[in-house]
Amino acid sequence: MQDINNSLSTPDSALTKQLKWFVMHFKKEWQLYLMLAPTVIWFMVFLYTPMYGLQIAFKDYSVFKGIGASPWVGLEHFYTLFENDQFIRAIKNTVMISGASLIFGFPVPIILALMFNEVINPKFKKTAQTIVYLPHFISAVIIAGIVITAFAPSTGVINLMLNALGYDSVYFLTKPEWFRTIFIGTGIWQEAGFGSIVFLAAIAGVNPSLYESAVVDGANRFQMMYKITIPCILPTILIMLIIRIGNILEVGFEMIIMLYQPATYETADVISTFIYRQGLQAAQYDLAAAAGLFNAVIAFILVIAANTISKRVSKTSLW
Amino acid sequence: MSTVKLKNLVKRYGNVTVVQGINLEVKPKEFVVLVGPSGCGKSTTLRMLAGLEEITEGEVSIADRVINDVAPKDRDVAMVFQNYALYPHLSVADNIAFGLKIRKMPKDEIRKTVADVAEILELTPLLDRRPADLSGGQRQRVAMGRAIVRHPKVFLFDEPLSNLDAKLRTQMRAEIKSLHKRLGVTSVYVTHDQVEAMTLADRIVVMSNGKIEQVGTPMDLFNSPANTFVATFIGSPPMNLIEATAEVTPEGCYGLFEGQRCLLPTLEQLKDGDEIIFGIRPEYIDIEPTENSTEINVSIDLVETLGSEALLHCKILGKPFVIKVETHGQITHLENLNKLYFRQDVITVFDKKTTNAMIAPNYK
Repeated sequence: MQDINNSLSTPDSALTKQLKWFVMHFKKEWQLYLMLAPTVIWFMVFLYTPMYGLQIAFKDYSVFKGIGASPWVGLEHFYTLFENDQFIRAIKNTVMISGASLIFGFPVPIILALMFNEVINPKFKKTAQTIVYLPHFISAVIIAGIVITAFAPSTGVINLMLNALGYDSVYFLTKPEWFRTIFIGTGIWQEAGFGSIVFLAAIAGVNPSLYESAVVDGANRFQMMYKITIPCILPTILIMLIIRIGNILEVGFEMIIMLYQPATYETADVISTFIYRQGLQAAQYDLAAAAGLFNAVIAFILVIAANTISKRVSKTSLW
Repeated sequence: MSTVKLKNLVKRYGNVTVVQGINLEVKPKEFVVLVGPSGCGKSTTLRMLAGLEEITEGEVSIADRVINDVAPKDRDVAMVFQNYALYPHLSVADNIAFGLKIRKMPKDEIRKTVADVAEILELTPLLDRRPADLSGGQRQRVAMGRAIVRHPKVFLFDEPLSNLDAKLRTQMRAEIKSLHKRLGVTSVYVTHDQVEAMTLADRIVVMSNGKIEQVGTPMDLFNSPANTFVATFIGSPPMNLIEATAEVTPEGCYGLFEGQRCLLPTLEQLKDGDEIIFGIRPEYIDIEPTENSTEINVSIDLVETLGSEALLHCKILGKPFVIKVETHGQITHLENLNKLYFRQDVITVFDKKTTNAMIAPNYK
C-alpha cells in the first residue's frame, strides 16, 4: 500500500508535465492551433525544409551525387565569391539600392499617412487612398511593362515631355546612372500607398483627446503633427524600420530581372540577381547557395543589431 | 472679471438636437457643475464652450466677449479631460509646459512657472517621470497642472475624476475644491455623479435631454427640486415619490394612496381629486410620531446597515421606498418596524401631469 502511495505521489519530470499541459491545452484550444497550422506548414515547407540544402554551400555539389553524397569543400565557395568582382559589385549595388530605398522610400508611407490624416473631405480621402493603394495590387510584370513603356526612348511619356521641353530623348533603361533612380522611384510608387496603411492604423490609435487638449493649448495642425502624431506612432515606425532593415539585402529580384540588361549590370546587378544567374543560369548551385547564405547571415545580424539599438534607444523592439 | 454666458445655446447633429437652447450665466470665480445622466448634453455644452464643437445656434461669451467664432486657443480657457489627455512621450514637466512652449514663452519663465505649479500640486519629485509611470491620482494632478499653468480665465473640467477609484476620487475632489478656492478662477465642471456635484459646486445645473431642469445651490436643489427628475437625481438615496389622489378638506390637503391618507402642505391650487405625486426624502422620514406627521403602515423588506446609519427598504404602490435612519448602534428594532411618520413640512408636491413641483417644502 505504501509503495502504491509513493509511486502515485512521485512527481512527474518537467518534460512530462509540459507534455501533459500541452495535450490538455491542445484539447481545449484546438481551433486556434488549426488556424495557426497553414502558416506553420508554409514556414516548414518553404523556409525550414530547404535549409537542409544549405549545406551545399560547403560542398562541391553534384546533381548526380545528390546533397548528402557530394564532398565537403569547407569555405572554398566563399573564397571564390569574395574573389569575384561581380559578387563584390552585387553586394555594393544591393547596399546602395537598399540604402537609398530605405532613406527615400521608408519616410514616404509615413508622410502619406500623415497627409491622409489631415484630409477632412472623406470623399477626397477615399479616392486619394484608392489611387495610391492601387499600384500595390498590380503584378510586377505589368509594373515593369508600364515603366518600360513610360521610359521608352521614342514613345515614352517621359521622353515625350522632355522633347516638348526641348531636350533630347534619354535612353533611361540602358544608362547605368539612371537605373537606381528608376528602380527606387518605381518601388516607392508601387508600395508607398499600401505601406501607409500600417501608419494610418497607428495614427487612428492615437487618443483623440490629446489633439483636443493640444487645440485648447493653442497648437496648430502642423504642431499637432510633429508634437503628438509622430511621437505617438514612433513605436510603429521603429518596428517597421527594424523589419525593413532585416530585408535590406533582399532587393526586389523580379523587378530587377525585368528592368535590367547587361548595359546596366554595373549599377543594377544585386545579390539576388547574381544568385539567379550563377545558380539557375550557370548551374553553379553550390556557389549560389554560398552567396544566399552570406546574404541571410548579414540580414540576420542586421535585424539583431537594429532590434537591440531600438530596444536601448526607444524601448520598442520586435522581441 | 470672467463671466461665462450661454445664450440659447443649441447643438444639432443632423436631425438630432442634443442641446436644446441653454441659457446660463456663470459668475466670476464661481464653480458651476453641470450634472445629468449620460447623453443629456452636458459634455457637448462644455465642448462648445471650449471651442471643440461648433455651435449650431446661440451665443457663448467669456468676459463679455462673444467667442462663437474664436479659435479654442484664443478663448483663454483650459480644459481637464476625463482620460487626462497626457502626452505619453513627454515627461511630467514637458506635459505641464506644453501649452507654454506652444505660446513661445521664454525658457526660463517656463521653468519657473512649471516649478511653481508642480509645488502647488505636489508634483515636484515626479517632474522627470513619464505619464505611464504615474498613478491615476498623480496623472490627474498633472492634467490639472497643465490647465492651471496657463492662468486661464476659465477652467473647464470634463468628468475629470471618473477614471479614479472611490477613495482617490474623494481625495481629488477635496484637492480640486481647495485649488479653486486658492486660484479663484471661474470654473465649469461636468459630471454625472451627483455626489461630486453636491460637494464641489457653488451652483449646480441639472440637465436632462439637452435642457436645463434646474439651476441652484446644492441645498436649493436638495430641498426644493423643481420637478421629479431633479428630485430623484439629486440626493443619495433619491427622494421617494408616491403617486396619490388629492383630497382637499377644510382641515387641509391630503394625499390618498393604497387606502392610506397623508397630510400634505396646504396648497391653494390643489383641487379635490387632482392626480399628484408627493415626495419625501429618505432622511426626513421619522420612525417616531412627531407634530403634524401622518402615520403610514409599511412592511420593511430589508435593512442595509451603513454603520451609524441604516437604509430600510420597503415598497409602496409596488415601487421601492427607502428610509434613512440613525442606528445608534442597534438595528434589531428596525427590522420589525411597521409604521413610518411623514411630516407635513418636509413633503414636496408635484403635479402628476407636468411633474413640476407645486410646492417646495419649508424645511426647518
